[in-house]
Amino acid sequence: MLISLTLKGRALGAEGPGEGIVLALSLALNGLVLGSILLLFSLGLTLIYGVGRIVNFAHGALFSAGALAGAWIASSGHSFWIALVAAPLLIGAVGLVLDWAVLARIRDRPMVDSLLLTFGLALLITGVLYQMGGRNLTMLQPPQGLRGTLTLGTLSLPTYRIFVSALAVAAVAALLFFLKNSNWGLRIRAANDDPEMGACLGIDRESLMHSVVALGAALAALAGVAAAPIFTAYATVGDKILILAFMTVILGGLGSLRGAVVAAYVVGMIIVFGEGYLGGQVALMLLFGMMMAMLIRWPRGFFGEGRTE
Amino acid sequence: MPLVVRRPVRPLHILGWVSVLVGALLPFALGSQPFVLQLASQAIVAATLALSLDLLTGNTGLLSFGHAGWYGLGGYIAGLGAKFVAPEMFLVLPLTMIVVAVVAWLTGLILVRQIGKTFAILTLALSQIFYSLIFVASAWTGGEDGLQGIPVPTLAGLSIAAPTAWYWLLYFVLIASLLLALYLRRTPLGQAWLAVKSNPERSLFVGIPVVRLKLIAYVLSATLAALAGGLFTLFNGAVSPDTMSWLESGNILMYVVLGGVGTLIGPVIGGAAFTFAAQYISSLTDAWLIYFGGLFVVIVIFAPDGLFGLASVFWRRLFGPSRGQVAR
Repeated sequence: MLISLTLKGRALGAEGPGEGIVLALSLALNGLVLGSILLLFSLGLTLIYGVGRIVNFAHGALFSAGALAGAWIASSGHSFWIALVAAPLLIGAVGLVLDWAVLARIRDRPMVDSLLLTFGLALLITGVLYQMGGRNLTMLQPPQGLRGTLTLGTLSLPTYRIFVSALAVAAVAALLFFLKNSNWGLRIRAANDDPEMGACLGIDRESLMHSVVALGAALAALAGVAAAPIFTAYATVGDKILILAFMTVILGGLGSLRGAVVAAYVVGMIIVFGEGYLGGQVALMLLFGMMMAMLIRWPRGFFGEGRTE
Repeated sequence: MPLVVRRPVRPLHILGWVSVLVGALLPFALGSQPFVLQLASQAIVAATLALSLDLLTGNTGLLSFGHAGWYGLGGYIAGLGAKFVAPEMFLVLPLTMIVVAVVAWLTGLILVRQIGKTFAILTLALSQIFYSLIFVASAWTGGEDGLQGIPVPTLAGLSIAAPTAWYWLLYFVLIASLLLALYLRRTPLGQAWLAVKSNPERSLFVGIPVVRLKLIAYVLSATLAALAGGLFTLFNGAVSPDTMSWLESGNILMYVVLGGVGTLIGPVIGGAAFTFAAQYISSLTDAWLIYFGGLFVVIVIFAPDGLFGLASVFWRRLFGPSRGQVAR
């Protein structure tokens, strides 16, 4: 359960004067990186929940699938950029098929069934990945131009991490822009706020849900393949991030988009700072304790707009 | 829905007691196959574990995705107690149950107030916290390698080492807790639980203390899971962090869903049957997880009441309409 994002930050802190500040700044930067990846990943989770009222336990498996697909595409001789585009498209298609073939069967069932079903799907996808060789760690090298380290005074960060953060932020901004300004986004937001009323207004929930699950899967896969040079790729790499994403969506409030945006960075910071000063396992426990406290005081998340039904 | 006291048909009773007896006599039939006896003991632990989850999910409708956390926690506490204090079951197991009950009560105070989805997510996260705890305390728990070298335990001073003795001990615990669970079903507490499960809001309005009842179920369920974990650790002589993984939690859920949520007997059968099936299928193929996940999906879609639900449909067709209905 260790997100080894901060190992470099710790090493960096040991040099030069004012090392306490350098360590803290370096941790903050890494927190932003982790937060961005987490945001990209949990936005799909939030959308699928918002429109379909499904807490997708298979989201972590889709992350792993994306990471592995990207690593395999790259290792079969294609460039990193092709992997970065092809893997999300591929997994997005998988998501579309899963929603059409599996999730559509339980649309009107009680909530319990959707939890169990996606849990089963997570096991199934993990099993398939194992079978395809996902037991072994696969490396994905970042492209040539992004392999260096960017140094600013005593502070430094691998260039690739900056790229990942920028990519994640750009993708999330584009998504939010579309949600705000397109016809499709309008329907999503309507269904998110009130699925029944949305259906009354003539929104086709089936096709909308297909698009949302496909998009959510593609975003998870994009997060997976973009993070693969940092976390490496294997069949259960998504398990770690899934737990963090769950914490994110609960802190932000289930179904709340802007809540997820803030919560992703909060979780990223807590994890990275916790790891830097206290050790990885303690960080997770700290985060969980904080979340329990949040639930007592603000059970609907940061903006008070989380679902309670 | 009026509170109907379930009155099972007579033949079922007889069938039940006959199968209890058959289970108890199993070691005599398996005398020459120690491996199968070992597997049967594991199946009994799985059945106890499934029953413990059904105490929570079947009674109150709360779905736990981190039940293996309690199982593993119980295993570690019992293992540490046996290794560093004394390997006496009458000392270690009650201690384990008390510690876990307190932990479950403290976390439950917050958790059971949550609605279904948040509860499911939080239980998963909590089990991951227990998992982390093992690594934080790896000086005692052995971290990744697991806790090893647990001495052969004693029961009131008698050393329990023979596989048949273990089988009967585990079997006794299973039957005792099953009878207790079935008894609870008939008490006002059990009836109130079912009311909470079918409609929490209405239960609250008629004056049922919903949160307290959920908390009782949560603590009971965690404690029984910890007992199962403790027993299995002492039986096995070792415990690894894998017992707490979310795959293990998925296994336990699978037992319950396969058997039929809320039927109490169904999950017990599901747990036992599943353990045997898992053993034989995984000896045939290494793509076990695909079949497991696929079966999970198929059952949720096509038989949400589990095998017990399917069986009761056939039973009703065969023996006419029964007066009670299988609660779900």
